Amino acid sequence: MNLENLTKIIDIPLFWEYRQTYISGLIYNFYVFALAGLLAVTAGCFISLLRLSRNRIYRSIGTFYVELFRNAPEYVLLVWMHYVFPLLLTVLLNHKFNFSPILSAVLALGMAYSGYFAETFRAGIQAIPKTHIESGWALGMSKFLVMRRIIFPQAVRQMLPETLNQFISLFKATTLVSLISVPDLLYQVTIITQQEMRPLPLYSSAAIIYFVLIFFFSTLVDMFSEKWRTRGMA
Amino acid sequence: MIVSRQYGPFPQGVRFFKNDNCRSLTLKRYHLVAINQMAEKISNNKVDVVVKIVNLHKYFGKLEVLKGIDLEVHQGDVVSVLGSSGSGKSTMLRCINYLEQPTSGEIYISGRPMGFRVDSKGRKVPDSHKSINKLRQEIGMVFQQFNIWPHMTVLGNVIEAPVHVKKIPSQEANEIALAFLEKVNLIDKKDEFPVRLSGGQLQRVAIARALSMQPKVMLFDEPTSALDPELIGEVLEAMKQLAIDGTTMIVVTHEIGFAKEVSDRVVFLNNGLVEEEGTPNEVILNPKSERCRQFFSKMLH
Repeated sequence: MNLENLTKIIDIPLFWEYRQTYISGLIYNFYVFALAGLLAVTAGCFISLLRLSRNRIYRSIGTFYVELFRNAPEYVLLVWMHYVFPLLLTVLLNHKFNFSPILSAVLALGMAYSGYFAETFRAGIQAIPKTHIESGWALGMSKFLVMRRIIFPQAVRQMLPETLNQFISLFKATTLVSLISVPDLLYQVTIITQQEMRPLPLYSSAAIIYFVLIFFFSTLVDMFSEKWRTRGMA
Repeated sequence: MIVSRQYGPFPQGVRFFKNDNCRSLTLKRYHLVAINQMAEKISNNKVDVVVKIVNLHKYFGKLEVLKGIDLEVHQGDVVSVLGSSGSGKSTMLRCINYLEQPTSGEIYISGRPMGFRVDSKGRKVPDSHKSINKLRQEIGMVFQQFNIWPHMTVLGNVIEAPVHVKKIPSQEANEIALAFLEKVNLIDKKDEFPVRLSGGQLQRVAIARALSMQPKVMLFDEPTSALDPELIGEVLEAMKQLAIDGTTMIVVTHEIGFAKEVSDRVVFLNNGLVEEEGTPNEVILNPKSERCRQFFSKMLH
């Protein structure tokens, strides 16, 4: 066991020297996460309403969308969105299209996760017993009032833990964007490694940073869901 | 004929009888019903028939669940609706407050048609959501389970409808709510969340909540069927108190004891039709039809 060599290789001052780059990389991660999250939640809301509608056509459109995006790997979607989709649009619309890496990253991840969010929202709304809604109607409440005062508060409480878990998955997926040259943490680390030729400390530190962040958020989410469960809401 | 403008959804009725614009028209049945009721109202000076069901049919796809129900409930009546499963009891109750749409037939609440109106040409057209909701305020309903909304306190549940539907200021709504919670004996639980209450207490809160809109008739859809036997008593006690106070009630139930002691009339439904109707003594103790006798012999052992 060669422990002295190991300590020489794990070089903390090196990591400290590049702290600026690390932070800027992480900022890109959060940036993509925020935009993709926004897109995913908005599209997910809309698709879940499609899935819940009484019209068979709307329902099947919603199902098609959800199945498509839940079953496609995120990396494949990312690559397709960045390289193939602009070409398709250029050919179809006769106008040169070029997606910046961030745009395709946000679009691809947003749409991929909107499938998951749509399912979560749908399940949250369907979990509410019909009698809750009918007793609102029986009291003379309009459909909008019932939606606002009875369905929405209950559904949000029902689906919040699951939604937060999906957000953590989305954050993990943002590391993929390094593969289409969005300058996130992993991409920066790759560039630095090419210069410094010291993969062990650099990649390990990147991995540890990701792990600590994600662990921190997941623990927060777990504590939050537990508090709600004991209060009798979730 | 003097027809005052204030009577219900037939404003065109005034035009029928103006002298200058006399158009020949055939009086449809709806007109005759309405004219009859207006005449009754003028003569009685109060609306006595709170719920009137005329020839109610209800199909679920191809299955005919209600095959022609006729029922009249007067003010202050307590009507128990008994029958085996699938006889259409709950469906009939849900048609009264338009949670189910009747396939044909009419329902009148205090003389006003539920779910439809008659337009200027005398045709029956579906009513707007707004007027249906308005009429639903006159009907209170208590369901079998999952009545109470878990994300509000008991008091919040009870004042929700008066504040948001009737737009009563919350101070006044609070007082009304406390009065009705007092009546069902739950005043000490007013700030509890529903998760802490037992089934019987939840049903009583549901009764108080329905009462807070001060409806003309209270509908009960098997209110004790989902409860533990020891909790049934408190709910029946609350309902008995309502009956003593003179509330008009239509109760679908399996509690024959309640039907016998508290109700003024018992209606026995079988296969979507009213098989027997009468006082508890007539229907429960001396049933005339075979099916009715079978049913009660099984229930009463």
